[in-house]
Amino acid sequence: MSGEMARRGRPRLPGSLAAVTTLATSPLDACHRRLGAKMVPFGGWTMPLAYPDGTLAEHRACRSGGVVFDVSHLGTVRVVGPQAEETLQSALANDLRRIAPGRAQYSLLLDPGDASVLDDVIVWWVAPQRFDVMPNASNTARVRAAIGGDDVTGQRAVLAVQGPRARSALARVWPAAATVARFTVAGLAWEGSDAVVAGTGYTGEDGVEIAVPATTAVSLWEALLETGLAPAGLGARDTLRLEAGLALHGHELGPGITPLQAGLGWAVGWDKPDFAGRAPLVAERRAGPKRRLRAVEVDGRRPPRAGHEVRHGGEVVGRVTSGNFSPTLGRGIALAFVPPELAVGDAVEVVLASGPVPGRLVEPPFVARAAA
Amino acid sequence: MNVPDDLRYSPDHEWVRIESNRARVGITEYAQDALGDVVFVQVPSVGAAVTAGSSVGEVESTKSVSEVYAPLTGTVVEVNDELGDAPERLNDDPYGGGWICVIDPADPTELDRLLDADGYRELIGG
Repeated sequence: MSGEMARRGRPRLPGSLAAVTTLATSPLDACHRRLGAKMVPFGGWTMPLAYPDGTLAEHRACRSGGVVFDVSHLGTVRVVGPQAEETLQSALANDLRRIAPGRAQYSLLLDPGDASVLDDVIVWWVAPQRFDVMPNASNTARVRAAIGGDDVTGQRAVLAVQGPRARSALARVWPAAATVARFTVAGLAWEGSDAVVAGTGYTGEDGVEIAVPATTAVSLWEALLETGLAPAGLGARDTLRLEAGLALHGHELGPGITPLQAGLGWAVGWDKPDFAGRAPLVAERRAGPKRRLRAVEVDGRRPPRAGHEVRHGGEVVGRVTSGNFSPTLGRGIALAFVPPELAVGDAVEVVLASGPVPGRLVEPPFVARAAA
Repeated sequence: MNVPDDLRYSPDHEWVRIESNRARVGITEYAQDALGDVVFVQVPSVGAAVTAGSSVGEVESTKSVSEVYAPLTGTVVEVNDELGDAPERLNDDPYGGGWICVIDPADPTELDRLLDADGYRELIGG
């Protein structure tokens, strides 16, 4: 065996740096270890990759029943006060006027120079003058630098309860939380401590995400597992988001990638007079983006992987940004940047390690939401 | 971690079972556990000549791609075609239904260079 196996025991740079800087741990760290989770470094944290049932079983449990993820590695940057709304309106690309207090919104932090997506975030508009902004783990400092506020990540845990039966399971231990509708946000109490519940997620299934103080996180986690929800780790989180066609920063989003290229023009407040990155983005819209993120299905089980070439008519036209085996479809799926003139239905080839395999551009999501 | 006493092992986490004069090859329980859920296995072709230490297949899990190395020099005489539809056998039954191929060894003394069960247990620290 080689690949990851061969590198075991040999210090790798991120690993040795991590050993020096100490990885952050979730308030649920001991719970994961007790369950036998395989823990891995991720974005400066050590988090569960999978529990003993494995990624595929966790993935299927989320599509057919319900699971709970510990996503405490996501950041929480809290922006409060009379200027908070205006600050976010100018720093982030989406338009808060599309929503209202008590709602959640997907938004983007763009590079003012070239409109690259520096991070994608979920904004929880908790109260008229309070916003909880959730960046990707490794981008929390960058987002805080752009929007101000306080990094309160260490004070709370975040649990994502996802799947067609997530709400019915949650209702057995916390009925109020189970009624928080899609893209709404509610301040509730768990065991007397202030919690925020939002109808958001990253799996393509119905469900909620819950921020609770670190001190009551273990009791909520245990109550959720007692309802029969299965714990799920980062491995399943990645295969689920890929089937849902959702972008991941560092793969589909990052330096040189604009919202228009990534198909996220819907998350841009074009009518806002200004926001960071607006000018280069408007210029790109006028000229037309040079490439476009597309969903690709291939024949066979072998997973496309990031970096694999995509060919069309014999020419290399792009590269895979994320790829894996789709447990639901039983075949390889990928996201890839290709020229804008290629459309859904077009035939492509993806050049796997073993050679090219036939594929085609499809409309995301790869897998539709399950019925509750 | 299960390390059967009657097998020989490569330091690259392959196992070898001698059946008459032939060598059945797979990956160890330790290897499958480290890989996570296997979703694709590329087996070699029957008739392929392989050299000890050269690639004889590839295993892809949900998180990574790993090469399988031939533990012995020889000719591939049988491959496990059932892995095409059921790669999860590498996880569920690594020393049984998860076998990858059978090699007809060119030099049976090569077997002596492989680890015995105790040696392999020491290698994986358990």
